[in-house]
Amino acid sequence: MENSIRSISMEPKLSSDLLRGHTDTIVLGSLLKQDRYGFEIYNRILGRTGEQYELKETTLYSSYKRLERDGYITSYWGDETQGARRKYYRITETGRGLYAQNKIDLEFTQRIIRDLLKEDEE
Amino acid sequence: MNTRQQIEALFSGYEKSTELADFMEELESNLNDRVAFLKQKGLGGQEALDKALAELGDVSALADELSLKRKQEVISEMYMKTRNYISPPRMALYVALGALIGFGAIVGGVIAFGPAQGYDIAPAILGTLMIFCGGGILGLIFLGLTQETASKMAMPWKRALWYLLAAALVIFGLSVTAMVYVNYIYFDLAEAPYLSETLATLIPFFLPGAALGIFLILTEKDLSKPWVAKLRKEALESAHERFGSPVQQERFGLICGAIWIAAIAAFILLSITVGFKFSWLAFVAALVAQLLVQAAFSKDAAGGAKDGVARKQAQ
Repeated sequence: MENSIRSISMEPKLSSDLLRGHTDTIVLGSLLKQDRYGFEIYNRILGRTGEQYELKETTLYSSYKRLERDGYITSYWGDETQGARRKYYRITETGRGLYAQNKIDLEFTQRIIRDLLKEDEE
Repeated sequence: MNTRQQIEALFSGYEKSTELADFMEELESNLNDRVAFLKQKGLGGQEALDKALAELGDVSALADELSLKRKQEVISEMYMKTRNYISPPRMALYVALGALIGFGAIVGGVIAFGPAQGYDIAPAILGTLMIFCGGGILGLIFLGLTQETASKMAMPWKRALWYLLAAALVIFGLSVTAMVYVNYIYFDLAEAPYLSETLATLIPFFLPGAALGIFLILTEKDLSKPWVAKLRKEALESAHERFGSPVQQERFGLICGAIWIAAIAAFILLSITVGFKFSWLAFVAALVAQLLVQAAFSKDAAGGAKDGVARKQAQ
């Protein structure tokens, strides 16, 4: 539907829908090196996409809840003494496994899509 | 408004669960940091807050999930944890009273099936039952009324005593009447107008007891806990929805009333003219009529809703 009324500008535009399907993997990826809290994860994504990704934060919160429920991440409250406490997320071993698997799947899919979209050499 | 107030406003309509409170705290710290970050980039205070909130998006789905769980928790807690309301001494009393009733029943049985037979043991059986079982039942009534449960508050003990008196009069009155009745049969006074005299013994005890009981029940306050009242209100509202509007529901009630009054009249008339064998069919007919009316009304409500949708689409 959206494509049918889309104006063709020939400017590259980030497809938010496509990215949204990988929210869980993106969240897991940002926790690989260190534990982070919501704002950090959100800011990191915005920074890496050059603020082009119109990501709603609730999408992330839903992802945290889902990942935590399924045991891919755990959460704990930080010990901030001033203001509201921060809730940190930590990736679990199964979470790392899921991340690695999703990454392999995604790379494989990207290759297939590239092949599918390749113009025929006549 | 600061972030805290904004968040409170966002979730004002939701049941506060620990999970939701947790989430709100998490949200607050993240929003605060985001607002500070945006301010650093040169946005004004209000501007930064507005932007941060816009980035947050629609929280209703998450909030629904988090508060729904709480609702279920609350309800299951209310229903399941009745045990918590019974203190150990009360529990002991409940058990003792149950044992008393059981004891009375067993003693009564022993007398009934013992060596002595005939009508002369009847008063002994009735007396035993009255004292032990009756006493036990009275105790249970008093405890039951003054028992706080998950759904209802305890009745004040003074009022419960009045109930106790009513129940005692009823039980004593019925026992006396039974004894008198048995006595008449035993002395073979069947020729005498024993039935009317037996019934007359209901007057001094049973009748005042029953009257007191009915008076108490009619003047009873609603002891439901607030959450029960709330659920009841919700049920009432959903009934309104089903019938489209309160007016329609009232109309439905009136028609049903008319149907049943007509049924009673038909029943009396048919009983006199045709006899009991067929007159009860009047009630079956009334039931069928009521169901048909209800079906017609529900359909009306659905039609009304559809009209509403059609009108909205037309706009």
